Amino acid sequence: MTGWETSERVLESGGFESRQRVLVVEPMVEASEAGARTLGVTYWQAVDRFTRGVVRASWRGGGGKLKLLGGATLLTFGSPELSFEGGLVSCRYAIEGGLLALRAGGSVTLAQRPEGDQQELSVTVEEYLPRLAARAGAPLWTGMLYAKGQSPFHVAVSRRYFGLLLGSRDS
Amino acid sequence: MNVTVFGATGVVGRALVDPLAEHELTSVSRTARDEPGARWVVADAATGDGVAAALEGAEVVYYLVHSLGVRDFEEQDRVAAETVAREAANAGVEQIVYLGGLGADGPGASPHLRSRRETGQRLASAGVPVTTLRAAMIIGKGSAAFETILGLVKRLPVMVTPSWVSTPTQPIALDDVAHYLAGVCGNEAAFGEAYDTGGPEVMTYRQMIERIAALLGRKPAIVEVPVLTPYLSSLWLNLVTPVNASVARPLVEGLRNPTIAREERIRKLLPLELTPFDEAARRALA
Repeated sequence: MTGWETSERVLESGGFESRQRVLVVEPMVEASEAGARTLGVTYWQAVDRFTRGVVRASWRGGGGKLKLLGGATLLTFGSPELSFEGGLVSCRYAIEGGLLALRAGGSVTLAQRPEGDQQELSVTVEEYLPRLAARAGAPLWTGMLYAKGQSPFHVAVSRRYFGLLLGSRDS
Repeated sequence: MNVTVFGATGVVGRALVDPLAEHELTSVSRTARDEPGARWVVADAATGDGVAAALEGAEVVYYLVHSLGVRDFEEQDRVAAETVAREAANAGVEQIVYLGGLGADGPGASPHLRSRRETGQRLASAGVPVTTLRAAMIIGKGSAAFETILGLVKRLPVMVTPSWVSTPTQPIALDDVAHYLAGVCGNEAAFGEAYDTGGPEVMTYRQMIERIAALLGRKPAIVEVPVLTPYLSSLWLNLVTPVNASVARPLVEGLRNPTIAREERIRKLLPLELTPFDEAARRALA
């Protein structure tokens, strides 16, 4: 696993974009519905593993929730949108709400795509409106919980996710 | 082909009789039996008694044995798999077909799933090509996991469940598993290969409980609690379902990890219109 990169920026819309990626020598999942679904399921496993079960994904009907031990719903998601065309394999979840979202909007996309003779694995959060981030015009310190807590947590989970994908392929 | 089935008295073993009807079938049982559809021989993979004789002339061996319910099931499974692998090599067997567990290859697999994975490795240890099919919960009458869910649905109007009931899984109909297992028999393209076999729908155990309940005309209330250990869960299951705690515990431990197909190569090798969950459950309930 090489080519680790992480970036975050605030879009003109006010939404946050966060992207992490690594490069691997061969595809970690098959280009199929099963492969795309595996990307999503492995990501939620990474959340569970990283938090030692304190934060878990819970699925019901058409969507899911990221729940804190004790019951608080941190984020809610729509059902997975699976794609596997032209070398791109992806699983996208629309963010629909939860304590950590200012309002519904944005998405989390887990993807695998060719990058030269390698494969890029990525986690991309787009147009997400975090409740814990500083609002426009507010002092920076008001966003400390996001900047020093949620954002690094997300990056660490992404690292764990890449590791899990690689681990499951190697075993 | 001459086919020998270890674990022939189990749910999957019985379901294989019809799909393998074109072959000369030898069914292996630990106690003497005389049932139609096959030649029955007595052998015990765990002790090795009768295994060599059961494999005489066999070209393909189905290994459907597990030791769930025994205290040291992991060790017993290892020994049994090694015994069959060794004797199969001695008998000149061309292929061993093994039914393992989905999710067994992932990190943090439960002891039961780890044992399923290791059993596959031991079966391959003597050089006979192994074809592994991996399945999650098999929806069929008598399947321990299905009977556990059914026991809960039938007995409890209110269920207190661990949060693991929200783990995704991909149950498959017994008939579909049997179709895949029979389809790889003697199929050289499948020698040395491992295939994920999943049903047409991914769902959580909670959704599965709700759908089985709906088929039975029930609507149980399900309360998820964050802390309920596998040990406590298995004791509870022992109390309220027909499944023994020693069987339930390894199964419950396995609920923590998603059990979904990571690939679909089997669908290209053996095209099949997969049975929808509700239809599979209806058949199992009939």
